[in-house]
Amino acid sequence: MSLLRALPPLLRAFPTLLRVGFAEMVAYRAEMVVWILTATLPLVMLALWSAAAEGGPLAGFGQAEFARYFTVTLVVRQVTGAWVVWELNHLVRTGALSPQLLRPVNPLLFNLAETLAAIPVRLLVLAPILLALFAWRPDIAFLPSPATALMGALSVLLAFALSWLVQAIFGMLSFWLEQSVGLFGLWFAAWGLFGGYIIPLPLLPEGLRAVAEWLPFQASLGAPVEILLGIEPQPLRSLLVQAGWVLLATLLARWMWARGIVRYGAVGA
Amino acid sequence: MIDVHELSKTYRVPVKEPGLAGSLRSLLRRQTRDVQAVAQVSFRIEQGERVGFLGPNGAGKTTTLKMLAGLLHPSSGRVEVLGLRPQDRPTELLRQITLVMGQKQQLLWDLPPTETFELNRAMFDLDRAEWRRTLDELIEMLSLQALLDKPVRNLSLGERMKCELCAALLHRPRVLFLDEPTIGLDVEMQAQVRRFIAQVNEAMGATVILTSHYMQDIAALTPRLLIIDQGRLRYDGPRDALAQRIAPERRISVRGSHPALVERGFREEQGRMVADVPTGGANRVLAEVLGLLPEAELGVEEIPLDEVMARYFRARP
Repeated sequence: MSLLRALPPLLRAFPTLLRVGFAEMVAYRAEMVVWILTATLPLVMLALWSAAAEGGPLAGFGQAEFARYFTVTLVVRQVTGAWVVWELNHLVRTGALSPQLLRPVNPLLFNLAETLAAIPVRLLVLAPILLALFAWRPDIAFLPSPATALMGALSVLLAFALSWLVQAIFGMLSFWLEQSVGLFGLWFAAWGLFGGYIIPLPLLPEGLRAVAEWLPFQASLGAPVEILLGIEPQPLRSLLVQAGWVLLATLLARWMWARGIVRYGAVGA
Repeated sequence: MIDVHELSKTYRVPVKEPGLAGSLRSLLRRQTRDVQAVAQVSFRIEQGERVGFLGPNGAGKTTTLKMLAGLLHPSSGRVEVLGLRPQDRPTELLRQITLVMGQKQQLLWDLPPTETFELNRAMFDLDRAEWRRTLDELIEMLSLQALLDKPVRNLSLGERMKCELCAALLHRPRVLFLDEPTIGLDVEMQAQVRRFIAQVNEAMGATVILTSHYMQDIAALTPRLLIIDQGRLRYDGPRDALAQRIAPERRISVRGSHPALVERGFREEQGRMVADVPTGGANRVLAEVLGLLPEAELGVEEIPLDEVMARYFRARP
């Protein structure tokens, strides 16, 4: 149980990892702001779908519902954002992974800490956008019941884990392939379509929707959005699907790491 | 301490023909060939030793070093460092070794070096008081005081290398792997880094294993040499014994230009006349020169290590 033995020192290290990660974010603040703003597609979708719903609700989504849906999507997207696929690709191709491999903390966990450390910065950048949205449409505001909020929070956590793991998995493909980031682009496109990022899942044709509900795309974004809004009829099932994907992705990620590191060429290092 | 037995590493590298047609062909059928970087290398290194890996570019010295540090998995053979398998990267081992690479850095680029030092304290789970003591000691030895709160990106190459060394030694490793630690540094900074490494070896009793292109690094730091060439270990022994064997002469130098000495086998070199004479014959030549030029300023020295090595590699089978 090497993981269990590694845990106490890791927990002791975590506050420092978070603090240094935060300092890095602040050092990169200009890039960070631009980068956060590139993930504001939900605002565009909000405008588009609101216009589409002018004549009346679509599949139960009126203008207020669309506004709420994409506002929550914007927030969930920000707090579940990761960049480990690009980071790993860079580390493996340039050999910059080498110094990280010589520290007792797994480089993936180090990245996880950095990713978590970025969340407060992301929320800070998001705050004025959210305030502007509330000022524009006060009916965006909603208050979930404690049970919904709890399930929603859990679902956001699972979505974060899944997004990060999927990126880590694609990033680890760099041990074998040069084009891992390109492959992730394919995933990203499917995620945009079936993850509720561009179209809320309830608006998809019935057959497609039934399939999409079980896919990892919805599990890493749409699921928490729908649970938080209280429009997911089976929130527990949704959480279980998410947990299943997280488990699967964890196993795959561990398996890939163990094999990839053997192939690691430590290029130019 | 370090035990290497029949260690080999083979890389499988893709073969791509040039041009678009070549790219397409390699896309359809990926051709690879095996390159043996290290072949059946065996040696032992004891605690506290200072050992230099020498060899031409691509000889396999960095590959060997990376296998010792656990970054590369051997294709065959066995390697043990402090009784552990480095390729498994057990925490117990990582806490006792360090690797400094002249061309790769661990410092966080946009933050002051203190942040990396702090990060390493957390990652190596070091006791804060002990870490502080080591850090103060290293700051003193490397004269880092003025650099501590400048972002790393604003430091010069030499300043960065000093901070790298500091970050790499905070956990007081027992084994130091140094891959080209002085590369790109100016002469004064190279000398500083060399002095520091020697000091660490003495003060902390750390074992030092070094690769370098600069013979001055080797001459100043490592009494024992491992020469690796085309993946094979060609020599393992004292530096001085190798120099004795390859270049047993003494170099006699006479300051200034003296055409009269040319016919006695001297050549002009950097404002002086030099001749390499067999060790036993040095006194006779010195007497001759003094007879000819009673006022001459004379010097006797060993053949410089880079020349020894150049001769060694020229003479190899």
